[in-house]
Amino acid sequence: MRLSTIGMRRLLRISSALIIVGLGIEIVSLLWYHPLSFVLFAFVAAALIGLGILVFLASLVFVVQIPPHESDSA
Amino acid sequence: MTGILIVQIALTLALASIFLIRPSVTRSAGWKIVAFIGLCVLPALCIVGGMNIHVQRSEETRFCTSCHVMIPYGRSLHVDDPSYIPAQHFQNHRVPADRACYTCQADYTIYGPLKDKLQGLKRIYMQYISTPPKEITIPGGYNNNQCLRCHGGARDFAENPVHQALMDSLTSNQMSCITSGCHDTVHNIAQQSHVKFWRPGQ
Repeated sequence: MRLSTIGMRRLLRISSALIIVGLGIEIVSLLWYHPLSFVLFAFVAAALIGLGILVFLASLVFVVQIPPHESDSA
Repeated sequence: MTGILIVQIALTLALASIFLIRPSVTRSAGWKIVAFIGLCVLPALCIVGGMNIHVQRSEETRFCTSCHVMIPYGRSLHVDDPSYIPAQHFQNHRVPADRACYTCQADYTIYGPLKDKLQGLKRIYMQYISTPPKEITIPGGYNNNQCLRCHGGARDFAENPVHQALMDSLTSNQMSCITSGCHDTVHNIAQQSHVKFWRPGQ
């Protein structure tokens, strides 16, 4: 499936959800005082937040809406 | 630093919740900028802030001893015997008590903290996925520079005739401070059941 067919709103929702889940895990990792908390942060929380950022950036790059007057003239 | 991170996380959660529930608000130019801040800038800052707090926390003594294999090493800091090098340094505050492990074990080179972190991850991998070693050893042995970082140039160290005679071997790491028969009682956890422990305030 092409990203442009998914739509901006859906990508924003996916990005927001990934960031919220990632931040939730980051909070857990900060409250948990154990060597594994760093692993949880680095490999799960940071990865989810990073993926959320990438999805948001992808929504800016790939889902370009052509203004109506330009699409008419084409 | 923690306060700033809490504000960043709270703000990011609030903005991300808005875009999760109503993504249509991004139709206006102003909200597009808010979306960029809330879904790109702030989350990136949350990762940086979180990493910073985790790295700082991993320098604390109680963090090191929160790993069960490190508990006997943490206990050795309370041995009531001045010949135990870590105990003597910890109890007399020759190293910061809250960063005792890190002060003597960290690699102080430019990429040292990164190397230490990777070494820590390797140990976690061995503990949970691979096979943990029967005996915990420092790769490459204990580096004299860890001792000389503080003792090097100190009057009582430099004026000691034994140190003076061996100075070149010590600074070039040819002879170890801890295995040369001089300061060889380190954590010595095998003998821990036979030693007396010091309790602060006794």
